[in-house]
Amino acid sequence: MEINAERDGATVIARPTGRLDGSNAGEFQEALEAAIDESDRALVLDFEQISYISSAGLRVILLTARSLQGNGGQMALCALDAPIREVFAISGFDTIIPIHGTRDEALAAVGG
Amino acid sequence: MSASLSLTVKTARDELERITAAIDNLAEEDDWPADLLFRVQLVLEELALNIVDYGHDDDTSDFEIAFMSEGDSLTIEIVDGGRAFDPLNDAPEPDLTSGVAERRVGGLGVHFVRTLMDDVQYERSAGKNRLKMVTRKVR
Repeated sequence: MEINAERDGATVIARPTGRLDGSNAGEFQEALEAAIDESDRALVLDFEQISYISSAGLRVILLTARSLQGNGGQMALCALDAPIREVFAISGFDTIIPIHGTRDEALAAVGG
Repeated sequence: MSASLSLTVKTARDELERITAAIDNLAEEDDWPADLLFRVQLVLEELALNIVDYGHDDDTSDFEIAFMSEGDSLTIEIVDGGRAFDPLNDAPEPDLTSGVAERRVGGLGVHFVRTLMDDVQYERSAGKNRLKMVTRKVR
């Protein structure tokens, strides 16, 4: 699991690559935790390079959103492929995590 | 197009990569649209990891996955001798509405199966869970 992470003020922009499934969800969670500092206020997860997600990947996204919210921060997603967008719709995750078309729209939404 | 594939899988988490690769190969051979490949990968991951995580206490038992593709229809059967589990009745209700703080992920996998396959039937016979799913290849 490869994640490129950069910081724009108190916003972290993380761009994972590949599949988010039951074989690498633990790695994904560790990489996200390593990328986010306690002082960070927002996370934008850029899914442009993600081709697949299962409930194991959704679980990590939920735990990350919960941890950010507990610290008064927020999270947004962007650039989801159609099948991944469908997984978010079927699971109802699109009602708890804001989804944007582009990275710039996501950054604007979290105030980055 | 028509094609078929039978897989015998160990009840170990690291078998997921082999299942994924086998489905990729079948999709290429049978010329599946990308949407079908995604749906089948998702459904099989959720069901296989359920069997591995909850159906068995060891990682050396076997279960069977079979794919039969004919015309516009794909049939998938999973036969497993682990604990009795009827995904249509025994899985927890998915939580699709709670906020971030209360949301639970349990039951989502089976919810994907019900939503993404056209027909799902479960039977427990001769000490085995038998799950049969049918989907049209093109939605």
